[in-house]
Amino acid sequence: MSPPGARVVVEPAALAVALASTLHRAGMTVTPMQAGRFADALPLVLPRRRDQLYWTARIALVSEPSQLSLFDAVFAAVFDGMLDPADNRGDTAGPPPAGSEPRRRPVASQRRQVAGEADPSTSRPATAASRDRGAEQAPEQSVVPAVASPDERLRETAFADLEADEIAEMRRLVRRVVLATPRRRVRRTRANLRAGERVDLRRTLRRARRTGGEPVRLIHRRRRQHPRQLVLLCDVSGSMEPYTRVFLSLLQGAVCGGRAEAFVFATRLTRLTHQLALRDPDQALAEAAAKAPDWAGGTRLAESLRRFIDTHGRRGLARGAVVVILSDGWEHGEPHHLAEQMARLRRLAHRIVWVNPRRAAPGYAPVTGGMAAALPYCDAFVSGHTLAALDAVAAAISAGGPREQAQTQREQRAQAQREHAHRRDM
Amino acid sequence: MSSAARAGAENDIVSRVPDVSALTWALDAADYLADPGLAMALFMAVRLPQPLLLEGEAGVGKTEAAKALARVLDTPLLRLQCYEGIDAAEALYEWNYPRQLMAIRLAEATGEHRDEQSLFNRDYLMPRPLLAAIEHPGPRPAVLLIDELDRADDDFEAFTFELLAESAVTIPELGTIHAVHPPIVVLTSNRTRDLHDALKRRCLYHWIEYPSAQHTAEIVRRRVPRSGEPLTLGVAAAVSRLRSLDVEKPPGIAEAIDWVAALTLLGVESLDASSAKATLGSVLKNHDDVVLVRERGMPWLVGAEHG
Ligand SMILES: Nc1ncnc2c1ncn2[C@@H]1O[C@H](COP(=O)(O)OP(=O)(O)O)[C@@H](O)[C@H]1O
Ligand SMILES: [Mg+2]
Repeated sequence: MSPPGARVVVEPAALAVALASTLHRAGMTVTPMQAGRFADALPLVLPRRRDQLYWTARIALVSEPSQLSLFDAVFAAVFDGMLDPADNRGDTAGPPPAGSEPRRRPVASQRRQVAGEADPSTSRPATAASRDRGAEQAPEQSVVPAVASPDERLRETAFADLEADEIAEMRRLVRRVVLATPRRRVRRTRANLRAGERVDLRRTLRRARRTGGEPVRLIHRRRRQHPRQLVLLCDVSGSMEPYTRVFLSLLQGAVCGGRAEAFVFATRLTRLTHQLALRDPDQALAEAAAKAPDWAGGTRLAESLRRFIDTHGRRGLARGAVVVILSDGWEHGEPHHLAEQMARLRRLAHRIVWVNPRRAAPGYAPVTGGMAAALPYCDAFVSGHTLAALDAVAAAISAGGPREQAQTQREQRAQAQREHAHRRDM
Repeated sequence: MSSAARAGAENDIVSRVPDVSALTWALDAADYLADPGLAMALFMAVRLPQPLLLEGEAGVGKTEAAKALARVLDTPLLRLQCYEGIDAAEALYEWNYPRQLMAIRLAEATGEHRDEQSLFNRDYLMPRPLLAAIEHPGPRPAVLLIDELDRADDDFEAFTFELLAESAVTIPELGTIHAVHPPIVVLTSNRTRDLHDALKRRCLYHWIEYPSAQHTAEIVRRRVPRSGEPLTLGVAAAVSRLRSLDVEKPPGIAEAIDWVAALTLLGVESLDASSAKATLGSVLKNHDDVVLVRERGMPWLVGAEHG
């Protein structure tokens, strides 16, 4: 048997509570019955590896393919990016990437070992260790906060098409979207990494209680890696107006829930992190609007980016960070200026995610000067125009496997270059 | 059924399915190669026990998963194939009307008196899969497969939902029949439409992806024993290329099996452009798809295109 220290030691009910409520806050409906089944399954499965825990949770809690990307992002955020969601997928589209792990059946030696472990007299239930010093009991009931679940129509409605009375509700939902960045990779083998990770449930629950509405993050006993900095740059110019209010709620959730940095820009760049960190969301937005005088004006994308890099980015904010730009890419200046700034940002950032709500429009192609010039430098290009589409934003932000990253990057660049060439040919 | 869930599965089942890897191996021995996700889903369905909803494209192995599970547990598989317009009678039970009529005629001829009640007893009841699963005498629970539920109408889905909640069937003339060994329930859907949220959340859920090329090749080798590794790997890779095209009917595992069987019959040992061209009809069942793939080119299909 492996030493107890190498195990993930968790109490089923507490783990189920933590994961279910985090999913709930991220906008995924989890019924108490589903959470209960997850808790019931844990002592039967006795997950020893991350992937076993992943499957147990996913099978009990997910009920729709459309929930998978959000579930994967939340699971990865809670369990410290120990599991690359891509590993759990089969043949999603076309030929699998070269070098992807084939699914192998267990070899004979594993089989013997497994048979030994199955003996109830030798296998120690994962719950035993956490029961003894019963200082902190998991809440028994109402495992899931009573939040109204977003109905499907609302999930699929473009933010620009929301009725006035739906906007407040949407902003509330969007604030809960969990945007988690991947951890910084450290040169170390996977096995070592696993051994060092243990969920410290007591501290986790204590903190969850203290912070009330904040997303639960499982705290690990020995944390060796830190999540990457998240920087959000949101275009608040006139053309983005239908989306600005909801996007600002997204920024606000990220600032409060994690340690994201938030900026807005139209003709100039304004840092809003402090304003958005205020408790009252409406007051925060009002302050933000007051602080950014060019709200709903024209756009100067390249100039705003230049300012960001010069005054914040180079000093460290953007270094190794995941930078998210929320903009329709309608640039008033010359596209090549924007390309220049994107190239600079590219050299600093770990990942650049571009969120453009216009991307969802039928027949949209990134041919506007700004967008076409910026795309080759982006790692992901997503629409984020509905609550459902924010799943993909969260997934793009949390994506981090070097293989996956290189691949999307390559695809996006090739695509942008094709489009660029196409425009030149016309 | 929730009280049953607290108690967990019956002892006999627990000893047959002690853990996920034992189940994986037992399925393998029953010629079903389950990946870790599906093995976990089946394990949870059996051991909690709770109904399991399997979704995925046609031909990813949903139906076969339930059949293999029944083989592993050495218990009957009761399969209800859904279709548009299916109703509760066809799923649950029907009265054997011709036999009832005959009994009445017989009674008339012999001058014997028959009251109505005597005509609605067990002798005249024809159990359909749902009732048969509930009445199954054991020793282990039956596997109840409600296949392609997305084809049935809303009403039938609501009826299924109730059945899952109760694990009992009420027959007005006979009373309520409770399951002695509540069946292990597997529902499948090809997602031609969305099932109701309530039903989905009532079930454990697993979305089956198309397997990787490697895994597809292994499955195919099981089904077509005489096929060699180069051929199965080549076909598996070609099948996943076909899925990347916008074809009407993307090939599933069944189509990969058919294709390898056809090629093996022709004595082909590895897939090349000319053997692919000759046998394309066995993997693509839709004529437009064949035309589309011919346009894309055989060298591309067999991975021999350069640049
Ligand atoms: N994992 C697997 N192991 C062995 N055979 C499989 C597997 N998956 C699919 N098959 C085979 O592929 C074919 C199609 O599977 P089926 O269960 O009918 O698909 P579905 O019900 O999802 O449409 C069947 O012949 C089945 O035996
Ligand atoms: Mg089927």
